[in-house]
Amino acid sequence: MATSSDAAAADVTKPFDIVATYNELLRSDPDLTMPIAAIEALVLLLTHSASSTISETLDLLEKSTAHLKKAIPNPIGLSAGTDLFQRYLITTLQRPGQLGPAGDFKAIRTHLLSNGRLFIRRAKESRHKIAAFGRGFIRDGSTVLTNGGSRAVASLLQKAADDEGGPSAVRFRVIYVLSSTSQTLGQSSEEPEGMETVRALREKGVPVATIPESAVAYALGKADMVIVGAEGVVENGGIVSRMGTYQIGLLAKAIGKPFYVVAESHKFVRLYPLGQYDLPIEQRVIEFQSEEDIAEENKQQAAKTDANAETPIELPLCDSVDFTPPHLISALITDSGVLTPSAVSEELIKIWF
Amino acid sequence: MTDPAAASQPGPGPSVNAAQPATETPTPKTLPIRDSQSAKGPAQPEQPSSKAKDATSSSSAGATAVASTEASSEPAADKPLTPAELKKKAKAEKAARRAREKGERDQAGGGGGGAGAGPAAPGAASGAGQARAPATPKKDAAGGAPQKGQRGVPPPRRGSAPVTQAGAVTAVEQKKKKEDKNVAVFGHLYGQQRRTTVAGAAKEVHPAVLALGLQMRDYVVCGSSARCVATLLAFKRVVESYTTPLGTSLARHLTTHLSHQITYLSTCRPLSISQGNAIRSLKLAIASVDPATPESTAKATLCDFIDSFIREKITVADQVIAGSAAQKIQDGDVIVTFAGSSIVKQTLLAAHKEGKRFRVSIIDSRPLFEGKNLARALATAGLDVQYSLVHGISHAIKDATKVFLGAHAMTSNGRLYSRVGTALVAMSAKERAGGVEVPVIVCCETVKFTDRVALDSIVVNEIADADELVSALPPHQITGLPDPAAASAAASSDPKKGANRASNATTTSDSLKTSLNTSSSPLSNWKETPNLQLLNIMYDVTPAEYVDMVVTEMGSLPPSAVPIVHRMSTNM
Repeated sequence: MATSSDAAAADVTKPFDIVATYNELLRSDPDLTMPIAAIEALVLLLTHSASSTISETLDLLEKSTAHLKKAIPNPIGLSAGTDLFQRYLITTLQRPGQLGPAGDFKAIRTHLLSNGRLFIRRAKESRHKIAAFGRGFIRDGSTVLTNGGSRAVASLLQKAADDEGGPSAVRFRVIYVLSSTSQTLGQSSEEPEGMETVRALREKGVPVATIPESAVAYALGKADMVIVGAEGVVENGGIVSRMGTYQIGLLAKAIGKPFYVVAESHKFVRLYPLGQYDLPIEQRVIEFQSEEDIAEENKQQAAKTDANAETPIELPLCDSVDFTPPHLISALITDSGVLTPSAVSEELIKIWF
Repeated sequence: MTDPAAASQPGPGPSVNAAQPATETPTPKTLPIRDSQSAKGPAQPEQPSSKAKDATSSSSAGATAVASTEASSEPAADKPLTPAELKKKAKAEKAARRAREKGERDQAGGGGGGAGAGPAAPGAASGAGQARAPATPKKDAAGGAPQKGQRGVPPPRRGSAPVTQAGAVTAVEQKKKKEDKNVAVFGHLYGQQRRTTVAGAAKEVHPAVLALGLQMRDYVVCGSSARCVATLLAFKRVVESYTTPLGTSLARHLTTHLSHQITYLSTCRPLSISQGNAIRSLKLAIASVDPATPESTAKATLCDFIDSFIREKITVADQVIAGSAAQKIQDGDVIVTFAGSSIVKQTLLAAHKEGKRFRVSIIDSRPLFEGKNLARALATAGLDVQYSLVHGISHAIKDATKVFLGAHAMTSNGRLYSRVGTALVAMSAKERAGGVEVPVIVCCETVKFTDRVALDSIVVNEIADADELVSALPPHQITGLPDPAAASAAASSDPKKGANRASNATTTSDSLKTSLNTSSSPLSNWKETPNLQLLNIMYDVTPAEYVDMVVTEMGSLPPSAVPIVHRMSTNM
């Protein structure tokens, strides 16, 4: 049984490249988050595969997930999606009745696929829900400090700007922290992340100031609150997000400004980092080098371009993340409500047990 | 016939009693009952008359009491015996019996110390304390043996007894002084002395439970999980050897039968949270036995239930916890742990087996020294182990990267209730000045979760025998003694300054020697020393802010998620 299913999986994965699908999905739809792209890729995988038993399906799913996680440099975000989908699948299969283990597998499969699509649609809608929940946090005359390119934050801010009844009624200001890492890395042709949101907000009449990361402590005195996005929300209520968020959190705590996180509930990850260096990804942020090392590296790089040798995937510096511990976070604005960090684990437990 | 009334009010018992042995005559019939009654308070073991005691010296004090009550009441009741009086008499006897039972339960050591219930520190120490008590004339010689083991005997009172003509005032004073030995803040925890003997245990108590009780008292079976498993195994034997009496059903009677065992166990040592949880679910399983099922099948299901409870909630849970907690250990880590938690041991061994290279620093404390076994086990497994006592905590924590702690319980407000000293370790890790915080990880099975809330470690705690603090002192402290020969050598080599220093050295060494010679411990007669209290509490409470992660068999949680998981695991 095992061997046959293995063979089937191998047959199926060859024509259907889950990694390529995942990347293609992310590229084609800028509004798509990583966990949702992962789920969509898995649903597509199931539609393409010809699995006919439950264990075969689960096996295929597990293998593709592992493959996908290995191929993506930062799998924290997408693992939220794959875990969720797997969990959903198992609970559906365990449920007694027509769709349970005793039921017709064809029916189960179609049910799974349709529900998977439903899930994706709902997840996409969750951003509006979040905006509705979070709108109340932005009051007249307040100044919001934010960073990064979070779409959830952008939609929340734009919703707040719209809600006041057009350009004339806008009464909040935004301080946008623009990351400088992308420029230093020699990609100056690209504009820094978040510029799009800045333009959109300015169009709506929201006064926006852009500051570099080094000016956060200076600018925080003028801000009333900090709102940031997250790549993943971990079990203890902390967040994994764009490098630089942690320091903003620390500063906000020190200055005494509320620090809100905007995240969809499908970004909750079953992960429990104890600190910055306990994340399950390899980041080369701190690199000690002497002159010798640099020379050595240059030589190696030259060799690499020649041989095009396989190297372990590493996160480029501009995509690196850090971990903001829960005690720095005032509240998480999610589509299942506004949660305290400690409520995150409750939500996760609800999903998982 | 007025005795029962007098007995029922424990009032001035002790003081009167103290006076009585001296005068010896006053109505011997009032005495015994009072005596046993007062044993519930500050134990009052004085026997009414040495002769009566001698006669029944083999039986316990309570037995003597009843015997003499009956003896004394008989002559009076001989002639009339109206029904009313008969009733009264029966009542009196019942009261006396009850009082005696209570006394027996409360008194610790009665005959046990002598009967050699193991070389338990408490028994031995109390015996020693008495031996050292100011010798009193003949009375002691007669009463010494039976009294010996009795817990809480106030030796000074005995010394003063012959002089009681001075009046009850001294007795009252002494009573006050004796009660002072309980540390006031923890006064509510002293309620029950631990049992030291199986004498007087209810007849329903199964031998396995009897043995377990003593093992728990002597810390042979120690640690929350171990006690839980041992209790369940003992109860399994109880269930196996149980036959339902006629006229009742198993579901109804076994519960009460079990509660006898539980009462006995709790007199040996207060039950742990895990024991409580296990007992609760066992009782639930018993109650849900269908009365129609035949006894043998019902017993088999219950035994199965116990087995699967142990497997699910402890054995397998421990494996899961050890596996996931070991994932948190990385190469080059320095793990600090406190005392000897079995689950932490499993975790460290699992991580070691995975080939991770790390050091372990064990912090231990008196008087149980639970870390010693852990240190040995880890060292024999090939780990790098450093062992130090809790006063070396600031040094040990300096190069720590993670702290792993075991738990006695996790309360619903996320606080950790564990062996005393744990909070200190957690605090040192979190409040380390000028360094990165060290994550504190608690390994805890969900069976140890409780819906209780702990705000401090005073309201709920356990007080162990303070004598453990005395007797567990290291026998000698040879190291660091100035060598007299070396001192004299120094004196001769450095004649100018030497004279003074040498004399100092010799005097100190002399004083140390004398302190070594006089007795094993300067605190050995702390009960007679005025203004001295000893406190030996067992647990403390670590605030939730000091705990980063709780590893359970249901996953890793922040401490704030404890109540949710507890609710879920009990609902299942």
